[in-house]
Order: sequence, then C-alpha cells, then structure tokens
Amino acid sequence: MAKLIFVFLTLIPILCNSFTPEKTSDRRILVLLDDFAVKSSHSLFFKSLQSRGFDLDFKLADDPKIALQRYGQYLYDALVLFSPTIERFGGSIDAAAILDFVDSGHDLIVAADNNASDLIREIATECGVDFDEDTSAVVVDHSGYAVSATEGDHTLIASDDFIKSDVILGSKKIEAPVLFQGIGHSLNPSNSLVLKVLSASPTAFSANPKSKLTSPPSLLGSSISLVSVIQARNNARILISGSLSVFSNRFFNSGVQKAGSPTKHDKSGNEQFFTELSKWVLHERGHLKAVNVQHHKVGETNEPSIYRINDDLEYSVEIYEWSGKSWEPYVADDVQVQFYMMSPYVLKTLSNDKKGRFFTSFKVPDVYGVFQFKVEYDRLGYTSLSLSKQIPVRPFRHNEYERFIPAAYPYYGAAFSMMAGFFVFSAVHLYNK
Amino acid sequence: MATILAKFLLLLFTISICNAVTIPTPISDSHRSAALQLFHGSSSSLEETYEALRVFEILALENKPDVSSATCQNVVENLGSSSSLKDLFYALKVNGILKCKVDRAVFQGTASRLKATVNDASTLVDIYYTIGSLVLIKDQAPNVDVLLADADGTFHSIKALSQSDGRWRYSSDNPESSTYAAGLALEALAGVISLASSEIDQSRVNTVKSDILKLFDSIQKYGTDDGTFYFDEKFGGGREHQGSLSTTSSVVRGVTSFAAVTSGKIDLPGDKVLGLAKFFLGIGVPGSAKDFFNQVESLALLESKRVPIPLVLSLPATVYSLSKKDQLKVTVNTVLGSAAPPLTVKLVRAFHTDAKGSAVIEGKELQYDQSSGLHVLSVFPDNVDVGTYVFVFEIVLHDSGSENDYAIGGQIRVPIYVTGIVKVSNAEIAVLDSDLGSDETQKTLDLAGTDVVSLSANHLQKLRFSFQLTTPHGRAFKPRQVLLKLRHETKYEHIFVVRNTGKKFEIILDFLGLVDKFYYLSGRYDFELTVGDAVMENSFLRPLGHLELDLPEAPEKAARLPPLPVDPYSRYGPKAEIGHLFRAPEKRPPQNVSLAFLILTLLPFIGFLVGLLRLGVNFKNFPSSAVPATYAILFQLGVAAVLLLYVLFWLKLDLFTTLKALGFLGAFLLFVGHRILSHLGSTSAKLKSA
Repeated sequence: MAKLIFVFLTLIPILCNSFTPEKTSDRRILVLLDDFAVKSSHSLFFKSLQSRGFDLDFKLADDPKIALQRYGQYLYDALVLFSPTIERFGGSIDAAAILDFVDSGHDLIVAADNNASDLIREIATECGVDFDEDTSAVVVDHSGYAVSATEGDHTLIASDDFIKSDVILGSKKIEAPVLFQGIGHSLNPSNSLVLKVLSASPTAFSANPKSKLTSPPSLLGSSISLVSVIQARNNARILISGSLSVFSNRFFNSGVQKAGSPTKHDKSGNEQFFTELSKWVLHERGHLKAVNVQHHKVGETNEPSIYRINDDLEYSVEIYEWSGKSWEPYVADDVQVQFYMMSPYVLKTLSNDKKGRFFTSFKVPDVYGVFQFKVEYDRLGYTSLSLSKQIPVRPFRHNEYERFIPAAYPYYGAAFSMMAGFFVFSAVHLYNK
Repeated sequence: MATILAKFLLLLFTISICNAVTIPTPISDSHRSAALQLFHGSSSSLEETYEALRVFEILALENKPDVSSATCQNVVENLGSSSSLKDLFYALKVNGILKCKVDRAVFQGTASRLKATVNDASTLVDIYYTIGSLVLIKDQAPNVDVLLADADGTFHSIKALSQSDGRWRYSSDNPESSTYAAGLALEALAGVISLASSEIDQSRVNTVKSDILKLFDSIQKYGTDDGTFYFDEKFGGGREHQGSLSTTSSVVRGVTSFAAVTSGKIDLPGDKVLGLAKFFLGIGVPGSAKDFFNQVESLALLESKRVPIPLVLSLPATVYSLSKKDQLKVTVNTVLGSAAPPLTVKLVRAFHTDAKGSAVIEGKELQYDQSSGLHVLSVFPDNVDVGTYVFVFEIVLHDSGSENDYAIGGQIRVPIYVTGIVKVSNAEIAVLDSDLGSDETQKTLDLAGTDVVSLSANHLQKLRFSFQLTTPHGRAFKPRQVLLKLRHETKYEHIFVVRNTGKKFEIILDFLGLVDKFYYLSGRYDFELTVGDAVMENSFLRPLGHLELDLPEAPEKAARLPPLPVDPYSRYGPKAEIGHLFRAPEKRPPQNVSLAFLILTLLPFIGFLVGLLRLGVNFKNFPSSAVPATYAILFQLGVAAVLLLYVLFWLKLDLFTTLKALGFLGAFLLFVGHRILSHLGSTSAKLKSA
C-alpha cells in the first residue's frame, strides 16, 4: 500500500505537467469531432501528428464527459476542433473555456465548414477572424478553381497564394496548389496578431452558389482568407481554416490542376501545407528562447553596475530555436538591440557567429540617466522575444576631465609668470635699499 | 428534438465531407492502392490479419504482402490451445482463406469443445463466436461432425433475445437492444440452420424473416431524395459505441448469411439494398483498416447474389465542354466495379435548372460501346446551351426476368454542367456630362485583348460602362459574377455589381451620389472587371484602365476612411539603425598658437626682470643679524612654497590637499612674515628717528 502511494506521489508531477517545449514526448491533444467518421476520413492528418509524438485523444464534441482541465490543471497541450456544426460542447467546455485555454498558452486548431455553427464562428471572431455572415455562402472562384470532371460549381478551389514565410510553411517550397472547399473569412484590420496564410485569388468571392449575385459580396478577392493563423502575445498559436475537408485524406491524396494552368500535380499541396502548418502551430518550429544576456566594457569581462558616458561596451545574447526535438542555434541577421531611455538612443543590428550567439559593441551616449538594453524581436512567424536589462549611466567625475589643455597654456603662463614676478617683487621691495 | 436535428446536420455534414460527388462511384484502383497502404506490414491480432486477408481476397490484389507462413503458425497455435472464443473464431476465418495444414484431429477436438459450450453460452457474442466457429470448421473439414443435436433449442435461445422492432439484445439480463447485435444474431441463426441435424421449423425461420423486414423498417436515410440508407446504433451506455458503418455492415453480414441458408425469399426492397450500397460507396476511401474492411466486405456481400445485386450508375464526368465537344458518358457497374448484365441506359429527361418545366432532351437511349463498356450520348443536341442541367437516367435490363436479381433503383437524377466559351463584345466606356451623354469621350474596348483606357472625371460627371455576353449558341448569357471594382491609390476598393438588360450589361456610376461612399477621395482609381460563371470557360479578371477622379473637399462631418489591413511583411521587418549623435568637442586653437601666446605672456615678466636690473636693485636692507636673517629666509621660502603649491595644484594635487597644505603654510607664513616685517618696520623707524 505504501509502495502504491509512493508510486502515485512520484507520478503526480508527470501527470500535472502542462505544455513546455522542453517536453517532447507525450504531448496530449484533445480532438473534438462531430462524428467518429472524421477520424477515419482524416486519418492521414492525425497520423502525421501521432508520428511526431503527439498523443491524440478523440472525443465527440457533444460527449458529456469531455473536460479541458481538472483541479485547475489543463489535461491537454492543444485542442483540435474538427466539429464545425457543433452548437454546444458537452461537458464543461464552452467558448470561454476554450479562450481561457488559449490564454494560458495552449494551441488551438479550428476547422469550420459550410454551415459552421455560431459557436465555432464566435470562437473565430474572438481570435480576430470573421467568417462570412451569410451562413450559406461559400468561396467560389471561377478562374482559380481546381479542374475536376465531377465538380462543376467551382467551389473546389486550387489556391497557391501562400504567406511568404519559411518559418510558418517550412523551407521546402509548396509546389502544388492547395485544394480548398469551404467558407471564407476576413481578418479584423485592428488585430495585428492574425495572419493570412492561404489567401484566395483576386477573382474569388464568397456567396451562396445557388442564388444570384445581386449585391456586392461582402468578401471578395484576395482579401478573403482561407486559412489564417494567430500568434497570441503569450505565444499561444491558433490555426483557423474555413474548411474541414482540406484536412481530409481525399484532399491529401487527390491530384490537382488549377484552371488555366497546364501543369497537373499528382498530389495536392494539402498534405505538405497542413503538415508544415501544424508543425508551426504546435510549436515545433519558430519558437525562440533567449539566454545568457551579457554586457561589459570593451576589454573587460565582468558586468559593471554602472556605465560612464562615452564608455565602449559589448553586448551579447544567445538565441536558440526549438526544432521539435532540441534547441538549435538560431541564425538571423536582423536581431537588434536598443539602448533605450524613453526612446532608443542607439539601435544596432547584432552580428552572429552561427552558433546562436549574437553580439555587438557600441559607445555609450553622452547622456546620463537610467538606460535599458532592449531586444524586441518580433518577426513573422517567430515567437516574440522581449528582453530588457536596466543599467544607469553617469557623467564624468571631477577628476576625469582633461587636465593639461594646450589652449589654456597662455593663461597658465600668465598666472605663473605673475606669481614669479610677485616673488621677485616681494624680495626686491623688502630688501632693496 | 434538438439532438435529432443536430444529429441530422451532423450526418449531412459527414456525407458532404465524405462524398462531395453526388453519385458514388464503384470501388476502383484508388481503393486498391489505399488497401495496400492500410494493410501494409504485420498485424497484431488474428482479427486484423483476417481483415487484411479478406480485403486482399475481395479486391483480388496481386502484389499483397505474403504473411502466410507466420500467420499459419499462429492459426495452428490458436486452434490447438484453449484460446478464447474470439481468437478461435478468427483463427478459423484466417484458415479459411490461407488453407493452412491443420490436422483433422485438431478440428475434431475443437468442434467437440465448441459443441459442449454451445448450450452454456449466455451472451449473444459468445453464441455468435461458437456457432460461427462451428460453421467454419464445417466448411474447412467436411468430415468432422459439427452438427448440433439440439439445433432447435439453440435457435430458440438466440431468438429469445430478439425485440419486437427487429433489434436484438446482447444477453438476457441486459434490457438494451441493439442493431449491431441484430446483425450478429442473424448470422448466428444462419449458422444454426446450416448446422442443424434436422430441419428447423419453417415457421420459426419465417418469424426471423419478418424480424429482418422490421429491422429494415428502422433503416435511416440521408437527406430527402438522395436514396442513401444506413443503420445506426442508438446511443447507449455500457457497451462500446458502434459507428453507423460497423452497425450497417453487421446487419448486411447477418442478412446476407441468413438469406444464404434459407430457401425462401426475403422480400428486401431493392431501393434499400441500393441505398445501403450507396452508403458504403459514399464513404469514399476510409482511412482506418477496420472501416475499410467493413466497407469492402459489406459491398462484396451485397454483390453475392443473396440479395438483389445493386447496380451503380456513375458518370466519369459531370462537367462537359461544348468547345471540346465532349461526349456524355455513363457507366453501370456492380458495387465492386465488375460488369453489369446487358442493359440499356435511358436518358429520360434533361432540363435546365432554371426552367424545370421544359426539357431539352427527352426519352433518348444511350449507345453502348462494347469496347470501353460505356454508355455514350455522342453529341449534345443543338438546344443544349451552356448552363447547369439535371439529367434523369433510367436503367433498363435487357433480360426482364432478372429484374428481381438486381437492385437498379428508379430514375437517377444527375446534375450536369455544360460549359462553353462565352463571347464578350461591344465593350464601351464613356464619361458623360449628363444622362444623354456626349460621344466624345466614348471609347471602345476589346475585352479579349489587353488594351486599357485612361479617363478623367469630376464629381458632376458619370461613368458608363457596357458590354455584351453571348453563349456559343448566340443567346444572351447571364454569368453569376459580373463585378466592377474601383481601387483607389490608398488600396481602398469599391465593388459594383453590373446588371444586365437583355443581352447588354451596363453600369452607370453617378459620382455625385457616390462622393460619400468614396470618402471624398480624389485621385487615381484603377478599375477592374471580373466576369465569371461555373459554365463559362473563359472567366476573366481584366484591368480596364484608370480614372482620374476629381472630387470636392470633404465636409467636416464626412465619414473617415475605415482602417485598411496592414501588410504583415512591413509590420515585422527590422527597424532602421539609430546611432547616437555625440556632442561635438569645443573648438581649440592649434598648439603652436597657444605656445606663441604662452611666450607672449612670459615677455612682461622678462621685461620686469630687465627693468629691475636696469634700476640697479640691491639687497642691502637684508637683515644682517642671525635671527631676523633666518626669518627673512624662512619668509621668502614660505612665499616660494605657496607659489610652488599652486604649481603642484595645477600639476597633480586636488583642491582639498592644496587647501590643507595652504593652511599650514599660511599660518607659518603669517608668523615668519610678522616677525620679519616687524623687524624691518622697527629698523626703518629707528632710521627715521635717527
């Protein structure tokens, strides 16, 4: 019995651990489905997650037993909502619970679809993504559709307008267009965190394919986003897709030929696109950490408690990127450091040694006060780094000024010659007879 | 009610993702390649091995992985030992396909063991495995005695679990009834009939048949006129939930095996059998092995002549191009893709989706092409223009006697898209001063080309743009998407729908009424025309040119331009470097000038010394006695020391050290100064008085 309790006690920290990039194995993802048929029809996507070490927990979205947290601890590291028609989740989950889940730094993948429920729309709106308000509207593209012998209504789109970011979509170029069939959304212009990953072509529009177009469609052209991502300020990442079928085996395996293009690809870009995108969303790429911030005067090694104006100093920081398995040195030429007091006095790009160390040197400005070394690294697709270190800067001491100024020699000369004259005069005046 | 609705939506959704094509196509090569991927490698259990082997058998795959030796060993081990009923059952099933070398004695032993437990088995699942195993032994070792002595009793004990609605319970102490269990029970009953040593009472068999019909009454269907049927399990606690696929395939397995052993006919409605086939085909290619097995095996059973064989009408394409002169092709196959019996496909009717009343084609037989196995409508009649149509097909079997052997369904409606190249002509663009318009600014555009126009207008003028669209057959064409887009320099876009009157599409932009909408933004507007339709092969997006618009100043209350989306690439780039501008050092003269002035400042001192020498100074007043002389020397040394201290203050000392030293020196100097001065004073006083 005692042994049992001991085993249980040693298990507690393992059971209670939540998401950290340091912990690769056994990361748990809750997958909420409308129907278990999705598990089979979208198995390639799920398999790619499982093969990368994720532990998927499939549940029906209206299962009354589902819960995201127990005793204040989150049970999962990420949530996949493949339940576009769900009106109310089972158990204790609702839109607020999902947003809390994201607010605590966990990742979320949401797939909407034709007749997406208000609940899914609400979650998307909270993330800065507005799906077309017309519930019967789908994205139609009469010029950028995927050529198909059996789909004549041009709702099956072949889109190749990807975000230009290696960190989000991987360094390997996606050659084949991505097949998409579903609803479009627009991004809230006041939300600076949401990014369009897959955009529709300029000829696309969002409307009900069965009715006539009498008023301008609310969503049109390349402002329609098909797939978007959000990186919250706490580095939680969210993927929102206007279609569930883009993740399906049928789309993964299907060939694709974009209308007007002579090349026919044997396999659509969906598998590569969504595998790479899911790597980004689940923090297997683009997650940075900064360690070992150092600064000192040139020629010294210890960090001073104060700098004097016009000192030459060296600043260095080590930045690593999470590769899914280990921390790899981050290589970039746009990391910048600011020497900051109310506004940056010095802003300098750091050089790097390709081993993760970024360094530079500069002269302390001739303004004294309390400064900060600031690294605000905010790049497309990367988690943002925000480092700051406070350091005061003092003026010269009284004895640190220049003492023998040649320009002043005439004044000294005059003073000392007068003093010598005084000595001579005093002697002459006293003892002359 | 809400949950039923939700489930209905959910099912609709399922079919929409699994089956975007309205007509399911039979099993094809994509299934075969998927099967090789799914059932690749070793299976952990005999059940999975059986599923893999059975799929390979049904799909007649050539290059399947060879696992027979290892699996046979596993089979023999399971048959010999007293393994669980389930393992035994699947071991026999695997053996049925692989035909391993198993001793007759082993079969004999297993059979007698099973027979002994038949009557003890309490749950339906146990009975199912026991009976199933015995039937398999009967097939594999014909001379082993497997016949049940008390078949009637076993039959009765299974039948006792049946419910009034055709469903079954898993065991007598479990009140919950299940459709999945019905499939198991029917299969077990079929086994009992084939194992019976004496004929089972026909009336009992007939009650089971009526049970089957009742079960088919509870069949569910998708949508309204889709014609897809399936069985679903009601949600129940306790047992593991079976999906609709496994439930339906269990029923199909049970019904077909029961139909195989009974002599009389079961009057299964053909449309429901066809509906089941559509359900299985509608799933597409499942991603999990279990689903794949259920789908393929059920389809194979439906084709096994025990129930009406469903025939599936499918079209390789539903989009036909008039410009390419495509032929309408129809194939009729069994669900597994094998050839259908001789038949004719009739095109009953075809009508435009907008004009349901008037048919464009009526009562036409498609020609059968022997070599390709396709039924072909060689040319579309002239009255078929571009547009969306619904074609209604019907299958007519040549051998009218075999009608009951096949489930062909009634009329099959297929949406067909007929596409073609639409002619764009007579494009004109003009800036008008009034509604009547002056033709001076009117410009014609060739919309097929790339030429652009540049126009200018003010807020009192109007822009008129018009063009015509005609179909290949010369009729007016109304595409769904005719949009004119004006984009201001600020990237703000205005969209207008171009409406048509007859053949002509025309839009008049009255800028006076639009100034508010344009946010009083003058400047260059680029305009683009988008014309697109599902049946238009030459849908286009074409820049038309630009318009210099001169709008009045915005009044104070006018709405402001809403925020535009920011380009994400610009938001994230590195910032420009900032360097601190240091205070410039003060300007100083060159060193030579300073030295020259130093020398100049020393000149008066030298002049002073020269003057003193010229005057002929002497030191005759220096005290001659020892004590005053000492004071005089000390006094002069003190003055020199003070002056030296000043020099040192300049060279290295700080103020505090200097003042300290000066204090001591000052006191000393005061003392000796007083002494020598008073001495000199008294000397000169004596001199005067003398």
